[in-house]
Amino acid sequence: MEKKSRISRRKFLAVSTGAAVGGVAAGAVVGGLAGYFLGSSQAAPAVTRTVTSEVTRTVTGPGATVTTTVQAPAKRLKVGYIYVGPVGDYGWTFAHNDGRKFADTAYKNVDSFYIESVPEAQSAGAIESLINQGADLVITTSFGYMDSTAEVAAKYPDKYFVHISGYRSGAAGNAPQNMSSAFAEFYQLYYLNGLAAGAVTQTGVVGYVAAFPIPEVVRHINAFVLGANYAYKKRTGRNIKAYVSWLFSWFDPGKAREAAVALIEQSNADVLAFTEDTPTTLQVAEEYTTQKGRRVWSFSHYNDMSSYGPNAHLTGQIVHWGPIYLDFYRMVATGTWRTVDIWTRIGDYMPYRWRRSPEQSTAGQVDGTLQLGKLNPAIPSEWQLEIKMRYEEMKELLFEPFSVDGNLGEPIRDQKGEVRIKGSERADRDMLWNMDWFVEYIESELPR
Amino acid sequence: MMLKLEKRGQFSRKFSAAVTVIFVAASFLVAGLIFEILGVRAVDVIARLFEVYLSERTLLEAALRGLPLGFAALGLTVAFKMNFWNIGAEGQIYLGMVAATGVVLLHAYYGLVPDFLVLPLMVVLSFLAGGLYCALPAFLKAKLGVNEILPTLMLNYVAYHFVNYLIHGPWRDPKGFGFPLSIVFPPYARLDTVLGHTAYIGVPAAFIIAGLLYGFIMYTPAGFEMRVLGQNYEAARYAGVRIGRTLLLGSLIAGGLAGLGGLTIVAGILGRMRPPSAYVGYGYTAIIIAFLAALNPWLAVPAAVFFGGLLVAGDVIQATLNLPFPAIQILQATIFLMIILGEFFKRYRLRVVI
Repeated sequence: MEKKSRISRRKFLAVSTGAAVGGVAAGAVVGGLAGYFLGSSQAAPAVTRTVTSEVTRTVTGPGATVTTTVQAPAKRLKVGYIYVGPVGDYGWTFAHNDGRKFADTAYKNVDSFYIESVPEAQSAGAIESLINQGADLVITTSFGYMDSTAEVAAKYPDKYFVHISGYRSGAAGNAPQNMSSAFAEFYQLYYLNGLAAGAVTQTGVVGYVAAFPIPEVVRHINAFVLGANYAYKKRTGRNIKAYVSWLFSWFDPGKAREAAVALIEQSNADVLAFTEDTPTTLQVAEEYTTQKGRRVWSFSHYNDMSSYGPNAHLTGQIVHWGPIYLDFYRMVATGTWRTVDIWTRIGDYMPYRWRRSPEQSTAGQVDGTLQLGKLNPAIPSEWQLEIKMRYEEMKELLFEPFSVDGNLGEPIRDQKGEVRIKGSERADRDMLWNMDWFVEYIESELPR
Repeated sequence: MMLKLEKRGQFSRKFSAAVTVIFVAASFLVAGLIFEILGVRAVDVIARLFEVYLSERTLLEAALRGLPLGFAALGLTVAFKMNFWNIGAEGQIYLGMVAATGVVLLHAYYGLVPDFLVLPLMVVLSFLAGGLYCALPAFLKAKLGVNEILPTLMLNYVAYHFVNYLIHGPWRDPKGFGFPLSIVFPPYARLDTVLGHTAYIGVPAAFIIAGLLYGFIMYTPAGFEMRVLGQNYEAARYAGVRIGRTLLLGSLIAGGLAGLGGLTIVAGILGRMRPPSAYVGYGYTAIIIAFLAALNPWLAVPAAVFFGGLLVAGDVIQATLNLPFPAIQILQATIFLMIILGEFFKRYRLRVVI
């Protein structure tokens, strides 16, 4: 009995003093942190609030006798998004969040909300949180969410799901009918970047900082190198040389920096393309150009990153997910849902997809889901015209990078010398989706 | 006038509980203050947090997210009790995943055993794989006196790249369009098919293990040796504790439980193996969980579920209140910081010296 000591007043006081002191200290630290985030985060909730109040006002107008609990006349659409990174990553997730804002602004009668930085292993629960929050449509924006999206879709057959960058959908026959998949495909833009690279390279060597050795990245590398070879060979008669450095991560600025420096220093590359979610590679190119007296070029990836390397920015690949999202909003809201497997290329979601003359080309403007980055004036004007011509041709699918045409009339061979594309062939979707070989101009090996 | 820290003597359970309650309450105050600054009603945020533990769906989700952490933390309570600073739960979790996935792949391609034996085999082998991976640095410590912290830590990277190799190479799903994924586990190799939800089988199993561990540490000679070893290495040696044997046994248990954590990830949550970038450092978080549980096996599972609930609450709060992810991290960090401060003030008192 006696051994169990009760809490004495003194102890209690000591403890609560400790708690108070600790609380104040922690409060100071954490408060400082909160202050730091204040600027960026206060804007979002504020905007949402004004929108809601506007709706209430418009609704209370017609309902004279009804109390203030009137609902909006048409059911307000609710859309939830799952993001893999923070919305401020200035890469992949930033672009998706831009797409969300675009679709919301265009559609108006919608409330959208999102959960960011969701790890793959926790995505199923996050998706269910959105459903619980009343979402009619859930859009999951990373490859790693594919299985969990299909799983939750099977559990909620009256809700709709869109997964970005995967291969499971009702349309493809490997997911429930209420699941669609969508992707904005870059290989055409990478080819155009390659043309720009081949037009400016002095060393005849291009580098690629690559995320994962998966078909998506492999076809982008191949397209880039094919384009670079096209321009470089036409200029000099020699083949381009290309080196690839793998990060095994989508987001790793530290490794990307090391890889970019190695490609410049060891491989003598002077144009660097990349698949990584930050502007790091472009920043490295900028440093070499402005501080180390060595001209190195790089690109925009997913967003216009030109401000990160004003002197090193050649062009780039930029995406606008908004039109795709808007399409799904409309389908869900109007009850015209159909499971689809969308793979947008240049020309898709454009109101006007006829080919224009190179002088009137919309290359570089916001048009459809894919945008070519600003063309640096350092690209010789004949190559600027050639790039624009190819862009315009691709709107009508008159030109395909993975064709003999895209390789100066030569068949496309892999590293072993095996002919992969010849005659009038074009890479079909199956070949693009399963691409596991490098074109002959690449010196690095493809890890298996 | 100055402040002085003094060590307290023994303290009772009631005292300990009271301190924890006070500090958790304080953490809500501090977090609430931050949310008020961010322009959100603190009451809303904290209400969302509590709702997570009250609804069946979110509680199950919290348990699911906490399970891998719970198993790994259970193992760590053993390791830390004997002063074996295992930072390698991450790697041991990977090895557990590898073993579990290996069984599924072998069975899928060659059909080793009847289907119903696959899951038990996965359990045994993932335990062994994680355990042996942890026993390796324990062996180095016992035989050569190598400090375990660096080897356990470095082996995490070895395991990371091993998983990366397997998933980009031989274990890649041939029908997966080249994406780094294993095949989807068939139903008989998944934990959620046993009782309908992974948590229904995982949480009771974790509690049974906690009970066994508690009994083992408190009432068996081997457990006693571990405690002695943890309290004073020299004294333990002098008293004739078989140090090598004790270290190996303890590390086998510690790593083995982390390996089971790996099993719950692939067979319970994901349903297939993914590249290591998908797994968000469970092994490191488990260290926090183990200390949150004050190295008490009984508390490891509730602590893990509590943490899982914080993760779920993070999603709910983001979705409902439009708060950015860093705000959620601040909430989680504040709660953890205060609990750990509470642990500190259980052991020390602050005195004003004039």
